[in-house]
Amino acid sequence: MFFMIQERFIKIRSYIITFLCIITLNFFIPRLMPGDPFTFLSAEEGQIHTTFSYEDIQRYKSYYGLEQSLGRQYINYINNLFRGNLGYSIAYKEEVVTIIKNRMVWTLSLVVAAIFFSSLIGVILGSLSAYKRNTFLDKILYFDLIVLSEIPAFLIALLLLFFFSAHLKLFPLSGGISHFTAFTSFGEKAYDVLHHGTLPLLALILTRTGTFYLLTRNSMIHILEKDYMRTARGKGLKKGRILFLHGLKNAIPPVVTRIFLSLGSILGGAVLVENVFRYPGVGSLMREAVFLRDYPLIQGIFLIMTLLVIVMNYIAEILYKKMDPRVS
Amino acid sequence: MILKNKVFKKGSIVLLILLMLTSMVVGCSKTATNEDATVADTLELKETTDAEEPVIIRLTGGDYGYPTPFQHYPRGPGGYKMQLVFDSLLERDENGLIPWMAKEWEISEDGLEYTFTIHEDIQWQDGKPLTMEDIQFSFEYFEKHPPVWNPVTMDGKAFVEKIEIIDKDKIRFTISEKNVTILEKIGDVRMIPKHIWEAIEDPDAFQGEEAVIGCGPYLLTNYNKEHGTYEFTAFENYWGSKPVVEKIQFVPASDEVLAFENNEVDLASIGSDLLARYQGDSRFKIIQNPGFWGYRLLFNMEKKSIFKEKEVRQAIAYGIDQEELVEKVERGAAIVASAGYLPKDHIWYNDGVKKYPFDVEAAKERIGDRKITFQLLTGNSNTEVRIAELIKISLKEVGIDVDIKSVDTKTRDHAINTKDYEVALTGHGGWGSDADILRERYATTVQAGSSPSSNIIPGYENEEIKALAQQQLGETNVEKRKKIIFQLQEIIAEEVSFLPLYNTTGYTVYQPSKYDDWMYMYDHHTVSHSKLSYLQRK
Repeated sequence: MFFMIQERFIKIRSYIITFLCIITLNFFIPRLMPGDPFTFLSAEEGQIHTTFSYEDIQRYKSYYGLEQSLGRQYINYINNLFRGNLGYSIAYKEEVVTIIKNRMVWTLSLVVAAIFFSSLIGVILGSLSAYKRNTFLDKILYFDLIVLSEIPAFLIALLLLFFFSAHLKLFPLSGGISHFTAFTSFGEKAYDVLHHGTLPLLALILTRTGTFYLLTRNSMIHILEKDYMRTARGKGLKKGRILFLHGLKNAIPPVVTRIFLSLGSILGGAVLVENVFRYPGVGSLMREAVFLRDYPLIQGIFLIMTLLVIVMNYIAEILYKKMDPRVS
Repeated sequence: MILKNKVFKKGSIVLLILLMLTSMVVGCSKTATNEDATVADTLELKETTDAEEPVIIRLTGGDYGYPTPFQHYPRGPGGYKMQLVFDSLLERDENGLIPWMAKEWEISEDGLEYTFTIHEDIQWQDGKPLTMEDIQFSFEYFEKHPPVWNPVTMDGKAFVEKIEIIDKDKIRFTISEKNVTILEKIGDVRMIPKHIWEAIEDPDAFQGEEAVIGCGPYLLTNYNKEHGTYEFTAFENYWGSKPVVEKIQFVPASDEVLAFENNEVDLASIGSDLLARYQGDSRFKIIQNPGFWGYRLLFNMEKKSIFKEKEVRQAIAYGIDQEELVEKVERGAAIVASAGYLPKDHIWYNDGVKKYPFDVEAAKERIGDRKITFQLLTGNSNTEVRIAELIKISLKEVGIDVDIKSVDTKTRDHAINTKDYEVALTGHGGWGSDADILRERYATTVQAGSSPSSNIIPGYENEEIKALAQQQLGETNVEKRKKIIFQLQEIIAEEVSFLPLYNTTGYTVYQPSKYDDWMYMYDHHTVSHSKLSYLQRK
């Protein structure tokens, strides 16, 4: 019991150290990048920008507290952070918490749905592939899913956009919802949101399923060779029961861990997909924040992402122990 | 084993065929976009708008900030959205400044006093009448709290010395020194209601419905930051020209041309590649944008003293094939820039300035025995990298070695600001502005970070340019000033202290049956940014 408490304490301490390291890096790395949030000397082709005078830049720096030394700014940042204040976005002129909250809903819905469907499909196809190892079905699934998972998410997204939205006109071209439309019921609005989210979701599912498929297939192949599986087959159990009840139950722990650990990489894919579909998530915001050197917003987004990943890692660890008592 | 391989090959072939089919279908849809004949089949065109129906225009959106003078973003067209709500004393049409809130104005003989007569019965969008105190307040408030687009200062300093209310419809501005650009600057200041803003201590954080009450032709009726949508609705009690467009809606678009094809937006910017698709079809109108956006090459003469030699700069100008840049990078949708800076579409463009066509011999002659190499700093957009690569190839022909360094925009801007570059490629708008831009680009001092003031072109000083630039600023006679500007362009072209490369002239396509009153401002390259585009015009 004592050892368990000690182990948990060490674990929590390591998470806290990780968190502190990351918020420190989040603070310093953006500020070490060349450029600042107020100097605009050029624009994207055809676009316009305002070049602030030296006096204006000094005024803005003072307004946002950027004229202080880095050490002072860091202390202020930590102080504010522990009061729950993530700061005020320089580029978007709004509280960072509000900006992230409004956008995170869209991204998290997309990412959670993508993880759910890609893992579900990946597990089912991976199990089938392992069971039918070296057959035509296995070969084709293996080849197709590996190819799909190697294509960048934005490219798949572009193909889906051109084909299903522009050519077949089955889905909207962009955005997360129809604008300037009065919805008569919640159902109508929900359908509209789903309609807009289908292609971004599909793009993420197509690129992520391969990972879960491969992992499940490998894990399942290993399990299928076990003696107790031979016994199950010898007992004349049904294929489905052998595969999903006896096989999958033992093959699933690494897959579940991967599901939780994949949050970070799926968020990375979501950045690109959201950009293609002009989806109102946090992905495109992250790109813009870095591009514009919006320090408070960069810190805020990466902080939330860090927290999410740490929490997911922790859950993955607990679940793995529950599913596989040997680890404990 | 052989059988298994066959099966695997079969699987691969099936997938490849599927992928190819997908590509073909997508390819077909793209091919169709280039065939004029298929336009009618593929487009669902809107019916001709009934004259009785309110006109609703949809344009490509994106979040550019809450449209107040303080909250719109410094990047992008947020300021033009703000101008739909907030009016100013003067406006811009195709030819120049026009009376707006001010129906007339007088300038004293010494050029120091500007007296404006204001239209009567102007009211704020909350129903309160606009008074001369509001106008005075707006100027004073902006001096105390500079807005994002800040016309109340010049070179960082406020220029209005005194504001006097002469009558209930007359207001006089006294400025500190004679300056021909002041009229434009005073005319551009947006009016904000005193009864709302006088209580606001921190305008940078002021949001809410009251923050977007102006006296302009449109009310902000919807704004969504995360979706990047705006809706502006015509203000029915607007004092001036009646809005023809009832609603202007900005919606997100993943691709503007696709959105235009799907009737999701009513206006799209297109390149030369898509011209054939719309040309010759009476349902579409194509207009070519004036070349007021451009790229230029900056020489850092402090870091690389060889650029102090005019012959070297001229050799580079001769050694870069600007026509090739226009053809290969912009597919013809651009014009070679004038070495005298003011572009061909500028109202005061001087066609007689020295030109630098691609001429290997002329370049080599000027280089002589010198060995020239430099690092070219560029942004990381495809266009900029392609420009840099073409420059490298053409300069190689004349014996100049170029090493390209591509970085993100902010890093490049920072390097320019801190003079940490040898040669830099940069692109921006504003080439159609008042000719005083020549003074700003060639004859001003700047302050970067905490460093003291220095010339805007590092290591370069030309007293003649400085004197002329200063002289034109005080010349109130238009013809005389124009003559000075023409002379300035000639010297600038001869000196090539930086090299303008080309000005982009993309195209805008729309359906005239839906709306046909689009208008360019005389100094700007985007038709949808003009407030007058949406109003009734004589």
